[in-house]
Amino acid sequence: MGAGSSTVGITGCGHSIYLKKSDRTLFSFLAEAARDALASAGLTRDDIDGLAVCSFELPPDNAVTLGEQFGLSLSWAYLGTAGGAGPVASVANSIRAVESGQAKAVLCIAGDNYDVSGHYRLMDRFNKALINYGVPHGFGGANGLFAMIQRKHMETYGTTRAQLGRLAVDMRANARANPAALLHGAMSLDDYLDARVIADPLRLFDCVLPCQGAEAVVVTTLDRAPPGKGVRALAARERHNHPVGELTPLRGGWELFRDALYADAGMGPADMQFVQAYDDYPIMVAIQLEDLGFCPKGEVGRLFDANSFTWQGSLPVNTGGGQLSCGQSGAGGGMIGLVEAVRQLRHEGGERQIANVSRGLVSGYGMVGYGHGLSTSAIILERLP
Amino acid sequence: MTPAYPQPGVDLDNARFIIAWRERGRLVLQRCRGCGAMIFYPRTMCPGCWSPDLAWVEASGRGVVVSYALVHRPNHESFNGEVPIILAEIALAEGPMMIARIIANNPATIRTGLSVKLVSDVGRYPLPTFTT
Ligand SMILES: [Zn+2]
Repeated sequence: MGAGSSTVGITGCGHSIYLKKSDRTLFSFLAEAARDALASAGLTRDDIDGLAVCSFELPPDNAVTLGEQFGLSLSWAYLGTAGGAGPVASVANSIRAVESGQAKAVLCIAGDNYDVSGHYRLMDRFNKALINYGVPHGFGGANGLFAMIQRKHMETYGTTRAQLGRLAVDMRANARANPAALLHGAMSLDDYLDARVIADPLRLFDCVLPCQGAEAVVVTTLDRAPPGKGVRALAARERHNHPVGELTPLRGGWELFRDALYADAGMGPADMQFVQAYDDYPIMVAIQLEDLGFCPKGEVGRLFDANSFTWQGSLPVNTGGGQLSCGQSGAGGGMIGLVEAVRQLRHEGGERQIANVSRGLVSGYGMVGYGHGLSTSAIILERLP
Repeated sequence: MTPAYPQPGVDLDNARFIIAWRERGRLVLQRCRGCGAMIFYPRTMCPGCWSPDLAWVEASGRGVVVSYALVHRPNHESFNGEVPIILAEIALAEGPMMIARIIANNPATIRTGLSVKLVSDVGRYPLPTFTT
């Protein structure tokens, strides 16, 4: 998207309940999040003429047939294609759609209804390259691939599991102040370090719990926001398939657009009052923080040693607990941080509200190809004064 | 009894690769006649220069471990009796990188930098598989 918009932004946010397993349909989760976001925006169904949806399980349905399910007449429809990077990109594209007059108000939804076995089935038919050259090896789904990335980061830069664990432990503390999180139990660093091995060096608390749920925001002109509830985007970017041809890179597309992102926003990483980073694994949060300029490449271990990441910490990260503690509702995992950011900026964070917060960064990541996530995205958000 | 591993799809882009492994236990790679690049996984055109003029060449079957995972929770039940699955990123001697399985009696002996070569039992594993 490049530079942000002064007239169009996010005016509502919502989510569905998260469940580990149930007979509910995907539509029911998407609908629950949609109703919650509309109410938050102070709009009704008749105000919505744009729909953006990100969901792995939606096919054979799509944005248009979801519109039919919801009874919407649409002038703009968008189906995300970038996995966990898709929802942030969908919001940036929705802002442009409203600015250019293609829609007046866009509902952006992301969600899925998975359980653990459903997640493995998804990864076994994720794309041709994985089906042909990963699945027949017993690759272990995303866990096997990201275990190789984490080992490479540890061996290249000296990053330790104890450093990564500090992040996981602080995110669990955040979740304990979030009634919507699926994982509430207290977790110590020893709990993290000693957990069951899933794909060495990854252990249980490095891995998300696939679940059912959905997240949503409303994008429209900021003059329609309820008083004190508008959030504008200062800048947003996306990048796919960088670095080309590497299988388990220790960097991603963020490193290419970081400077332009901060230049468009007129501020830098030190100005961010929180980061909602895509946390399929702690190692990917670490790589995002490096690529987004919070420390030089390879020095994230020291950043972890020197900071705390709770909502009260020196560098608040995933203030609602992230996917690692809330659960990963498929593509909804790419919007959970965005919704938490909007909630914080509307000062609706409840028990976990960051005091006087006015701006922050949300980062997306996803679409695992032959080895790693191909898609990256980021958006800088600011509370309207 | 040989467990029924999931099998790769075979199509006109990758049939030479799959069949060379399945029937002869050999690794073949594509070489671009446009720019000379060695390519894995098989493509319909060179991802470097977009030339569709690709030749198949037999590789040495040797490589070096770049990173690896010991997978205790595989994606398919046929692997459950063989955990941990040693999944590795391997730098092939000819240049391309490949994600492949390593067979070893003791997974604790696997290290980054280790030299590996193709296993010799033809027909057992669905894709080129390595050993120390
Ligand atoms: Zn070429």
